[in-house]
Amino acid sequence: MINIYQVAYKNLLRKKARSALTITGIALSAWVLVSLFGFNNGYEQSLNRDIDNLGYQLIVTAKGCPYEAATLMLKGGTGLRYLKENLANEIVKNREVEQVTPMLMQVVLDPNKGESGGLTAFLGVDPASYPPLKTFLKFEQGSWFKPDAQKEVVLGYEAAELEQREVGDIYLLPGKNIELKVAGILKRTGTQDDGTIFVPIKTLQQAFGRTGQVTGLGIKVAKDADIVKFEDKMYNLPDVQVVSLIQVKQTILNLVGTAKVMVLSIAIIAIVIALLGVINTVLMSVLERYQEIGILKSIGAMPLDIFRMVWTETLILCGIGSLVGIALALLLAQLSDLLIRRIIPYAPSGVLVQVDSSLMLFTLLIMVLIGLLGGIYPAWRAANIRPLEAIRTEGE
Amino acid sequence: MLIGLMMMLLHTAAWGAVGCDLNEPDRDVKRFFPAMTNYKTEYFSVKRSGGETLYDLVQQRYGAKFTGIYETMDVPYTVYTVLKGKTIIGYIHGVNQKGHYGGLQVFLALDPKGTILQLYFQKMTGAYAGRFRDRAFGAQFAGLSLADFQYYDVATGRIPPNSKLNRINNPVPAAADDFNAALRGAKKNLILMDVFVFNRRGVAK
Repeated sequence: MINIYQVAYKNLLRKKARSALTITGIALSAWVLVSLFGFNNGYEQSLNRDIDNLGYQLIVTAKGCPYEAATLMLKGGTGLRYLKENLANEIVKNREVEQVTPMLMQVVLDPNKGESGGLTAFLGVDPASYPPLKTFLKFEQGSWFKPDAQKEVVLGYEAAELEQREVGDIYLLPGKNIELKVAGILKRTGTQDDGTIFVPIKTLQQAFGRTGQVTGLGIKVAKDADIVKFEDKMYNLPDVQVVSLIQVKQTILNLVGTAKVMVLSIAIIAIVIALLGVINTVLMSVLERYQEIGILKSIGAMPLDIFRMVWTETLILCGIGSLVGIALALLLAQLSDLLIRRIIPYAPSGVLVQVDSSLMLFTLLIMVLIGLLGGIYPAWRAANIRPLEAIRTEGE
Repeated sequence: MLIGLMMMLLHTAAWGAVGCDLNEPDRDVKRFFPAMTNYKTEYFSVKRSGGETLYDLVQQRYGAKFTGIYETMDVPYTVYTVLKGKTIIGYIHGVNQKGHYGGLQVFLALDPKGTILQLYFQKMTGAYAGRFRDRAFGAQFAGLSLADFQYYDVATGRIPPNSKLNRINNPVPAAADDFNAALRGAKKNLILMDVFVFNRRGVAK
């Protein structure tokens, strides 16, 4: 004996084109929804990972000092200002501070790079405190400097590629004629670390006559500390500027939040259109089967049976549409990733659209729920058809 | 401003093998070919041109295995085809080579038949780098072609007694590593030009 699901399924097959179009509408809505939620998950995770990968949440520099390589290169290696290295001892006394690491950035004009010379930037780091903050950095070859190392260098992957260095090779500090031994080559990270040449800070200080001076202090704040309050406290130090990466992250999230709201609005519109499409399809189907439903009721079908039959049609449409949409989202996740990277102001490294099983299930439930809500009215209309009236109407 | 800082801090690199381009092509091409009116830039890689088979063949002709991260199969090579009107008057092509103190970028300016007009180190590290980067050193390579490098042993640096390469003087005898790297770089450069431009099949003429 044929069951109610088979009846509903066969009803949908009667108008194949209409059912297919309705399913397409639902699928597109589900696709947008999955991609949007996936972006919501993926973006923040990737951004958090990028921030965590920096190792510290605050950088303290002298007022007006460019504190990282790209800025320094843009400024032609000029404009460096220095802090006293022992400021670190003062900062580390704060209970909010987990660790402080001193850094010295120096830029050299290498006359043998191109026709007019080229700039090379070096980051002097403390072999004791810097590596523990950068635990995510993995080595392609070798390792960090030995704790007491002076004449060693660690190269980011791209720096090693450019300089064609391997562990054990000699690297010459341009202009200073100081020979350094390559201790390690980092794996690619996708960050500015790839192009960085790390030198023990004492070596760099001596080479450039900057003993006791640093260009920045990286501060890792304790997990339970209030970073904003601590940042204010840091501003009490004379002539320093504080760069908070949490603040940077928040600004990015706010900016991206605006884009998210826009996309969510579009998704809601798409869902509403899909819902109206479902209502329209099922309602038309009910009206076309007015006499047929009347006959069904006259031979014993109860209003609840008719209601269930029509509602099941809605369920099938929404279920298939959602599954197709989720499959689309999975298949086209990389394309969505690519498109999003083109339109948002800043895209962190890693996967931007992260679709997992819980997200797929959640979307399926939402779409089916919306479809079922949309199916109530047509099902109610169908359930309330009066058999005699329906048969008479057809006869007229 | 914060976004700008973030972009620089968390800059996502386009991952790929490192190539060798002229730093300022408009200026540099004109320097080698003052009569030029235009130039065309094309990108080649052994991977795209013939894959593993070609890679093996290039190494065989070179006489040693490529081991550095700067000479993998997918390294993009840039060839500048120099034009005067519609006529090709030469080519410029560079390769990376390992030097004693750092990376070398060995460029060759070639005539349309593949004969060297000038060798140029775009980048070199070492206190003596200026001597090698001097135009006089590069000019010693003028007139040489791939055939002249055929029996040059890149592994030992040995030059056959009757080879034209013997006329090239090392300006800094103490920097034998970098002198040999220049010859190795020139040989690799010529083989790749033969593969990419002159022969286009990776087979020696």
